[in-house]
Amino acid sequence: MTETTTPEVIYDKEGNAHEVVDFNNDYTGAKLGFWLFLFTELMLFGAMFLVFSFFFYRFSEDFVVASNSLNLLLGGINTIVLLVSTYFMGISLLSIKQNNIEKSKKMIYLTIVLSIIFLTIKYFEWMAEINHGIYPDSEALNILSKGEILFFGLYFTMTGFHGIHIIVGIGVMLWAIKLINNKKITAKKYVVLENIALYWDIVHLVWVFLFPLFYMISFGGAS
Amino acid sequence: MSTMTHDMTGDMYLKIFIALILLTVLTFLQPYIISGSISETVTAQLFIATIKATLIGSYYMHLKYESALFRYIVLMALVVLAIFFIITASDAIFRNESFDLFK
Repeated sequence: MTETTTPEVIYDKEGNAHEVVDFNNDYTGAKLGFWLFLFTELMLFGAMFLVFSFFFYRFSEDFVVASNSLNLLLGGINTIVLLVSTYFMGISLLSIKQNNIEKSKKMIYLTIVLSIIFLTIKYFEWMAEINHGIYPDSEALNILSKGEILFFGLYFTMTGFHGIHIIVGIGVMLWAIKLINNKKITAKKYVVLENIALYWDIVHLVWVFLFPLFYMISFGGAS
Repeated sequence: MSTMTHDMTGDMYLKIFIALILLTVLTFLQPYIISGSISETVTAQLFIATIKATLIGSYYMHLKYESALFRYIVLMALVVLAIFFIITASDAIFRNESFDLFK
């Protein structure tokens, strides 16, 4: 916060005086800026979903066949893990607003633990595929049908991008803990944590659509 | 005008959480409730996902309590995405038809 003794004043067209508020403390501006970033995130993942939809339409049968080889149980557990983690993140934000610093920090740590569980499960899932020789441009993959190659290509790309977002999420959450410890995030100034919670929700939102499109389509058709 | 003091409470977080868990269970059970063709499965799955997304956006992301400006940003993003999808869909569906615009 800046320590000014006399407030700076600006005048509108009618000559009314307005006190200039501290721009570093622009709550709405900070959140608006973050929403614009989320807009670009939506475009990033939206474009990938667009590619998915296009090829899913053209190679529906192949996609269903390929989807059958994904591990539904691990994907399902991850869906729940991420859902619970967004709840904890929300409670963390709520706690900081209520000046319950310790609870807020505890909730962030819980979210971090769940994110690591998510990544660990994802690791085993990917390793299972890779051990079957299924990874981009592998010999076992290249002899499959066109649609299956596309499915696995999109699977690794989209869950990979999503995984990177989880890793970044862990990073910003650790940063939030540091800011809370340094009294930079307080019950009166919590916009950073609010934006991190928004980020975490969009990461969850992407998974809400990833899971059915990659895992649940295996139930389609009479197979 | 709605009151500006409205915000998420712990109670609401829990309610939405339970709703999301139930919808997730529905996601898992959907194939056993209506087992159908690929398009039916995808439609049902995306329908549930859209409800979940709406709940997350409205409550967890506070859009229900934000000013109209924030809602319009999200609406704009969705409109832009929808335009991409509609144009691409017209290509995917009508490719190789006599009236194909992209030929």
